[in-house]
Amino acid sequence: MNATTTFHLDGEEIPFTPGQTIIQAAKAAGAYIPHLCWHPDFQANGSCKLCTVKVNGRFGSSCTMEAQAGMVVENRTAELDDKRRTLLQMFFVEGNHFCPSCEKSGDCALQATAYELKMMSPHFDMFYPDRAVDASHPDILLDFNRCIMCSLCVSASRDVDGKNVFYMGGRGILGRRVHINSESGMLGDTDFAATDRAASICPVGVILKKRKGFAVPIGERTYDLAPISAPDKETTP
Amino acid sequence: MTVRQVLADCGATDTLAVQISGPSGICLAEAEFDRKIAFEDLPTAGAFMIFDETRDMFEVARNFAHFFAHESCGFCTPCRVGTTLVRNIMDKIAKNHGSPYDINELFKLHRLMQGASHCGLGNSACNPMFDTLNKFRPAYERRLMSLNYEPAFDLDAALSQARQMTGRDDAAAHFDEHPENEAEA
Ligand code: SF4
Ligand code: SF4
Ligand code: FES
Repeated sequence: MNATTTFHLDGEEIPFTPGQTIIQAAKAAGAYIPHLCWHPDFQANGSCKLCTVKVNGRFGSSCTMEAQAGMVVENRTAELDDKRRTLLQMFFVEGNHFCPSCEKSGDCALQATAYELKMMSPHFDMFYPDRAVDASHPDILLDFNRCIMCSLCVSASRDVDGKNVFYMGGRGILGRRVHINSESGMLGDTDFAATDRAASICPVGVILKKRKGFAVPIGERTYDLAPISAPDKETTP
Repeated sequence: MTVRQVLADCGATDTLAVQISGPSGICLAEAEFDRKIAFEDLPTAGAFMIFDETRDMFEVARNFAHFFAHESCGFCTPCRVGTTLVRNIMDKIAKNHGSPYDINELFKLHRLMQGASHCGLGNSACNPMFDTLNKFRPAYERRLMSLNYEPAFDLDAALSQARQMTGRDDAAAHFDEHPENEAEA
């Protein structure tokens, strides 16, 4: 392998093409870097920070950092996985996640990543935020209690569906959230359709199809069959 | 120009601490007042806050913690959630419900937010806690319930509703908060 076009990921040599980010090259080589807001079909958002790696000894987001020849990248070290576990716990305490009653359970990237990283408890005191549910659309339910602010719905609706149904707005722990681009702020007043790319992109249980409960039984769902770290798995199809 | 010279020039007396370059800057105790305001030693954007001996550096840091929790834009996880967790821990310590466990939690959050945050705000949001914990630790420790282990919540307070419902308030309906032979487990 040509030394100018590879880098080291936990001691493994990973080839890359110029312009590829670390996570893109790792994914292509079948190596798993934990991530939640990155999806191979979309531009990186860089907000969840789960993909944090150490590049030549310094922290960086592998979904936004371009691969460089010869760089030494630490990924699944005890130190980094420990930080990732804390980030996951942050997601669980800032929202309301009751997995046993969630339709996404078993198909959820947050839950699957928490299993992968052996997160045993939320650790911090829960925030129990008050977040509204939007059931105004005939075919889609939005349960923002589980939102992890990954922005994937924003990208999918804008870049694939050409509709701009969602946008991120507000600031801080209480203010920042997904907004709906309609005068009423309700999904029912947009041209959103259940066939939109954005309708199936959410890695957690926010954007759900109505009347589709338990179509696949628990035990046979995506991450019941193989962990999220398996080479062919992605946060959402 | 040393910090001590600036203090002398502006007539500051009984100085306890100096905060250089705002909340995300560096907090200095007396022993460091001979350091120089310079790019290579104490870089500053111009802010220079002086605290005299009547001030409580824990409350100063707690105020900064509230500032960062309010200022975080919320884009990235470590800063959005971390600044609020730090603020909650500082409030818990202020209410005398803290323990050494909470101090360790502050250090842990500092290590995470410093490396993983998207921008400088999250990266430096724990600086005031980190500096004051290292230089003014007694300001924290005298607020802790116990220097030994304490659980994250107050068991006795949690029972208050049950006491109300059963109409009891006798000694047996209370947990002894600080038994003499407190276990370290
Ligand atoms: S979104 Fe995922 S983590 Fe949250 S409750 Fe549903 S299954 Fe659990
Ligand atoms: S609704 Fe889903 S896809 Fe959209 S930001 Fe929240 S978690 Fe991400
Ligand atoms: S996957 Fe890189 S920051 Fe979320």
